[in-house]
Amino acid sequence: MMEIDVRRAGGGRHPGVWFDAVMTIAAEEEMPRAKRRSSLIRSPQFSSLVILIVLLAVFAIADANFLSPLNISNMMAFLPELGIIALGMTLLLTAGEFDLSVGAVFGLAPVVVMLLVQNGGVDIGVALLAGLLLCIAIGAINGLIVTKIGISSFLVTLSMLLVVRGAALYITQGFPLKSWDQPGFFVTLLAGSFSIGTFRFYTSLWWFIGLSLLAIYVLRYAKLGNWISAIGSNRNAAVARGVPADAVKIWLFILTSVLAGLAGMISAFRISAASPVAGTGYELEVIAMVVVGGTALTGGRGTILGTIVGALILRSIRNGIVLIGVPGLAYNIFVGVIILAMLILHALLQKNAARS
Amino acid sequence: MEVLRLQNLQKSFGSVRALKSASFTLNEGEVVALLGDNGAGKSTLIKAISGVFPVDRGDIYVRGQKVSIRSTRDAMDLGIETIHQDTSLAPDLSIARNLFLGREPVNLKWLGVFAPLDLAQLRDAASALLKRVGISKKLDADALVSTLSGGERQSIAISRAMQFAAKVIILDEPTNNLGVEETHGVLRFVKEVRDAGHSVLLITHNIHHVFQVADRIIVMRRGEIVAEQTVADTDLLTVESIITGADMSALLKETRAK
Ligand SMILES: Nc1ncnc2c1ncn2[C@@H]1O[C@H](COP(=O)(O)OP(=O)(O)OP(=O)(O)O)[C@@H](O)[C@H]1O
Ligand SMILES: [Mg+2]
Repeated sequence: MMEIDVRRAGGGRHPGVWFDAVMTIAAEEEMPRAKRRSSLIRSPQFSSLVILIVLLAVFAIADANFLSPLNISNMMAFLPELGIIALGMTLLLTAGEFDLSVGAVFGLAPVVVMLLVQNGGVDIGVALLAGLLLCIAIGAINGLIVTKIGISSFLVTLSMLLVVRGAALYITQGFPLKSWDQPGFFVTLLAGSFSIGTFRFYTSLWWFIGLSLLAIYVLRYAKLGNWISAIGSNRNAAVARGVPADAVKIWLFILTSVLAGLAGMISAFRISAASPVAGTGYELEVIAMVVVGGTALTGGRGTILGTIVGALILRSIRNGIVLIGVPGLAYNIFVGVIILAMLILHALLQKNAARS
Repeated sequence: MEVLRLQNLQKSFGSVRALKSASFTLNEGEVVALLGDNGAGKSTLIKAISGVFPVDRGDIYVRGQKVSIRSTRDAMDLGIETIHQDTSLAPDLSIARNLFLGREPVNLKWLGVFAPLDLAQLRDAASALLKRVGISKKLDADALVSTLSGGERQSIAISRAMQFAAKVIILDEPTNNLGVEETHGVLRFVKEVRDAGHSVLLITHNIHHVFQVADRIIVMRRGEIVAEQTVADTDLLTVESIITGADMSALLKETRAK
């Protein structure tokens, strides 16, 4: 018989419980495994993956160049820049908030760094540190206003978008800056490139892979991930269990801002230019990646794997429709329609899962 | 022995004086039922004790020592576990994750919030606990709470309070939405923890349950404690009349006389 010793005060767990539990699981192990497989197939990231494969197949058949080394290298160069932001956005959305200022931060951070270097004569390392602090400050302000004053993140970050984009335009007087093009440690670190056979990759891909693994770990396996999902699912319940919901949200806003700034730097170094209008509209593209991947816009349910698939989907749509000859001005019609179709599919699958 | 003592607790929400003045003592190994009509201030009182919000005035003593409960974490650390009426579980998390929310078993503890959950222990302990509680049959510890019925959710919340073996367990209407079997499970649980030397503060609208498990009854009306009696010294009718404020026994005499 199981025995829980309720006499132990202050939340101690009885070791006997764990021991007995271990003894009893052997018999139960089989069932959940079969169940797990069927729930994986029904999960949103799985349906996203299927859609990605279908899309890739369609584009590959429509245009042989789609899977050429050059084109794949091209896609992989762009992918990390939005993908990195999408990782932060996924965590933030899972906690029940979102950030519309990421595109503007993407533009402002490199502009500030380059101004400091070119007009202020500041060392590039110091300038990058200043850019980092700026991103932290923007995220912290977003987070503090949302949690402590209680204004919705939609309104707070929409205002922040205007402030940040306005600042970028004002300090540059609207002109793009020539970016840092002297090779060196930081350029190699953020935008170096390397070749594998005929494929050419940027180091930013490593950043994306590394940060993705970290994000997967945090959301699925770490204590923090449990808190993030719980906060987005039922904030009051989480707070009642002693979860510091406000602090978690503030840190997630900071993280998202910092990732947006990092992505901006990577992009600016890659193309050797920092434009005050860089990243315009990225906030919506990033949110599209996240929700297409299966993360719930209402919080509580987030998937990093889904977001990676979502980023790949949006990237290959943008790339593929150019190759198959859709007129440039019609891109967004296609992108919008495909996103909508995916969301409808997710919703239908969700309904099905709830019924069964 | 005294475990929890409240002295003159007061709490207002704007102009609503939800708690005008509440004082009482909870002893070790006793079940105290907190009764009162809707809006009497019961939930407000227990939210103050469990750190959901601070009181405006008044003192709380735990084992004779004055304490300040500023957060839910403070209350949990003092050994006060609460099951709230309105908020208890995160629907998008599994049963196991809900059971350990805020007190997750982890490996590599030094990693702080980044420490990896001990998933095996989490799942095993959860399924053992579900079996132990017995008020919910055949629940998979990995199932999402959103797939459970209201009564099943309540059972999970109660299992959670059991598992952390608090000094004081506060239950805000725990038998709401529960079926017959689950209700008996809860009442049995209340008796068990009492017998193990713990104190239970039970809020309920079901007076029959009170007479089954409680040792003492406290009645609130409009933010004040209006009566305090041991169960042995009173009866259903008297308690009902105190709750509503109408003198029912007098009423009864009147109708009989006619
Ligand atoms: N957060 C709040 N803001 C404003 N007023 C509140 C708040 N919480 C409770 N009140 C008010 O305080 C009074 C007491 O509420 P409380 O929830 O303590 O009642 P209760 O005794 O638990 O009732 P019930 O049996 O219906 O659960 C009510 O008039 C309620 O409207
Ligand atoms: Mg109540």
